[in-house]
Amino acid sequence: MDPENIDLSDTDKEQQYVHAVYNQIAGHFSDTRFKPWPVIEAFLKNLPPGSIGADVGCGNGKYLGLRTNDIFTIGTDRSDSLVDICRQRQYECLVSDGLDLPFRDGAFDYVISIAVIHHFASNERRKRAVEELFRILRPGGSVLVFAWAMEQNGRRKFEQGVQDVLVPWVVPGSRQQDGSERVYQRYYHLFKEGELSDLVQSVGMCTIDQVGYDKDNWYKIILTEKTA
Amino acid sequence: MRIITHNMLKCHVKNCTDPNKQFPLRFKDVQLEQVEAERNDEFLVRMLPRLDWPALLKTSKELGMGLPESIPENPGEDEEFLQAVHTFIMETHVKEGSMVCDGCAHEYKISNGIPNMLLAEHEI
Repeated sequence: MDPENIDLSDTDKEQQYVHAVYNQIAGHFSDTRFKPWPVIEAFLKNLPPGSIGADVGCGNGKYLGLRTNDIFTIGTDRSDSLVDICRQRQYECLVSDGLDLPFRDGAFDYVISIAVIHHFASNERRKRAVEELFRILRPGGSVLVFAWAMEQNGRRKFEQGVQDVLVPWVVPGSRQQDGSERVYQRYYHLFKEGELSDLVQSVGMCTIDQVGYDKDNWYKIILTEKTA
Repeated sequence: MRIITHNMLKCHVKNCTDPNKQFPLRFKDVQLEQVEAERNDEFLVRMLPRLDWPALLKTSKELGMGLPESIPENPGEDEEFLQAVHTFIMETHVKEGSMVCDGCAHEYKISNGIPNMLLAEHEI
């Protein structure tokens, strides 16, 4: 199915193909998300003691427990089912929309957005999401963003040139009446070469420290510092 | 939710724009719990600039908890100060209740220790 042809507003598209899906698959999703990625782990380990940060779109809280003795991270997610999982793990977390964060300006030393921005259904909304990350960051603070890359070397194969895709999530053991397994479709925007840097730079206010790929090119990563 | 988190929150309803009223959110009918946590003085001293002290003070009075009026000159050497800050921002958890904005009266619910900061469509 081509998400371009889904007759829904961007908000409803995200509601149906992102928010509702994560609430449904939260348990299974969380069981498959336990191994921290090295770039993010290194970023968190290198922060000076006393740093205060936000993990916007924290999912099951994979990064909230990595360093807890001398930095403090608040996790936020749109999915209350995923936030419940974070809470059960005793992490600091709240339910919030990434387009409209409930934090004061300049509150944080660092912000991470891991595999989140690609779920917003238009360029305008992706830009607003990035603007929010920078708004809540203090000048001199850093932001780390991961988003799905179009030029992937991994096992997933996407149609050439198509950036907006639905990606199936199969819940194993979820036998339905006809014997098939339950499949949920998640919406993704795949970032082309240079697109994530352009997006971040269009928001302004930052210098780019590092741009690259991670996880067999599955992810585009960008690390920036807020200038003003 | 710990009090350190509350100090970072502000009302984000679209038409709520008075910065003097959006923050701090006022607690209403809250159920608190003290959960012991290991004190890290380096963390506390280094993160002090991130706190909005007047807002923290206002919140501490609201909840009837003790906090010095201002940050001392050498906070790292002030045992009483460090313990008071640690107890209030790191060990005090809000389990249930809500946070109300003094600007627009929006009420954010806290349930099972989780604040729900989502807004209705018309408030965004």
